[in-house]
Amino acid sequence: MILELKNVSFTYHSKDNETKAVDKMSFGVEEGTFVGLVGPSGCGKTTLLNLLAGITEPGEGEILLHGKKLSKTDDKIALMPQRDQLFEWRTIEKNVCLGPEIQKRKDKSFRLYAKKLLEKYGLGEFATKHPSELSGGMRQRAALIRTLVTDPDVLLLDEPFSALDFQTRLNVADDVYEIIKQEKKTALLVSHDISECISLCDKIVVLSARPATVVAEIEVTLDKSLTPLRRRECADFSQYFEKVWKLLEDKK
Amino acid sequence: MTAEHKKFLKKIRLRKGVTLTLRIGILALFFLIWELVAYFKIIDPFIISSPSRIVKIIGQLYNQHNLFPHIFATLYETVAGFLISTVLGTVIAIMLWWNRLMRDVAEPYLVTLNALPKIALGPIIIIWAGAGKNAIIAMAVLICIVITVISMLTGFESVDKEKIMLLRSMHATKGQIFRKLVFPANMPNLISVLKINVGLSWVGTIMGEYLVSREGIGYLIVYGSQVFQLDLVMASTVVLCVLAAVMYGTVALLEKIIKIRYSASK
Repeated sequence: MILELKNVSFTYHSKDNETKAVDKMSFGVEEGTFVGLVGPSGCGKTTLLNLLAGITEPGEGEILLHGKKLSKTDDKIALMPQRDQLFEWRTIEKNVCLGPEIQKRKDKSFRLYAKKLLEKYGLGEFATKHPSELSGGMRQRAALIRTLVTDPDVLLLDEPFSALDFQTRLNVADDVYEIIKQEKKTALLVSHDISECISLCDKIVVLSARPATVVAEIEVTLDKSLTPLRRRECADFSQYFEKVWKLLEDKK
Repeated sequence: MTAEHKKFLKKIRLRKGVTLTLRIGILALFFLIWELVAYFKIIDPFIISSPSRIVKIIGQLYNQHNLFPHIFATLYETVAGFLISTVLGTVIAIMLWWNRLMRDVAEPYLVTLNALPKIALGPIIIIWAGAGKNAIIAMAVLICIVITVISMLTGFESVDKEKIMLLRSMHATKGQIFRKLVFPANMPNLISVLKINVGLSWVGTIMGEYLVSREGIGYLIVYGSQVFQLDLVMASTVVLCVLAAVMYGTVALLEKIIKIRYSASK
């Protein structure tokens, strides 16, 4: 188990009341797998992401990475935000090197690694270009490479395709899946899109409305040799969809 | 290149030429009518002066070695006021962005100072800073600085929350978030503040010179009106127009340079 949540709870306070956003949440992520978190909108997704990214600490319970408690300085979990969030004033090369730059790495080998990744995934000639010169799909790929450059163990994907139009979205999902598999990374995908989760993930964790807690864990046993897009055509696909849909509806 | 495209380009060039011609034409026409009205005494030139009289008086000032000392005095005050208020205002905005408590405490003061007609503080400034250049610079700073602080702070606070979250997930410090994200993201905002400050620092300087004047363009205008020498007033106003345009042009040039450095090199 590479990542494990044990009875994690989190409450945030405002002037009028306190809101329990996450309630005794427990689940685990196996190394090298792709796990999806689906929940109704407003299920405390941002809170959960903040907890997993090590920005805030859980009020109760603990998050374990490699069996050790996640600390605020851990850089082994990298976040890929909803929109690509590339900085317009930086070149693609400078954008993807943002992580190591923030961590003030003395060893400059990350530059070479970044170049290699850009080359490998078809962005080599765009290294010195600015984000505005790239297409939506290319920008998403650059954002993914930015999370890979720090060489994290777990990638945290925050609805990474939701800002794209439908057709691009399907292609980029395939693209991102392919790259994550090639780099042998573990990924945790937070999404509202049930089909997307089923097509990409090995396991789906269904969450309840706020306060978020685990309703069910569903193993997805679709043919893993297919691309996520092709998996949508599998016979069992609709059954998985039905199952997750029902669980979400019941918990409304 | 297709014939259609050629036609299109020609149309654009023509349009540009027409715009420029009209701009210059209107100015020339304005001066011409002004000159004629004064020459044929349709309106008393004693009151409205005339372009030829303005040229004559500027020549006179120059020959008496009086033109450039006045220009430099005003220019010095304006540029100093502009630079001090921009830098100081930005620094204050950074401090308020950094410290939430300080920002909340400062808010009502900023709002009040912004609403206050700054010229009302003129007499106080003169007493405190002395009736000289310092008082005039202080006046210019006072007029520019509040709006600089407010605009910069608003800009700092409107940076995309998701970008901040991305940096925080990389465990960036507050200083890093400012240097790598908040400040560079606010370059366009800074430029628009600079443009506003060019205009406002002129307002502050001329107002200051009206109040405490021994030299400068504002002094010439006040002096001219007091001795009822409208030629001097008009000549000073024309000089002022030219100076303001030059300063605005400098900032516009700066904008171009910054844009090339900070965004797509298209």
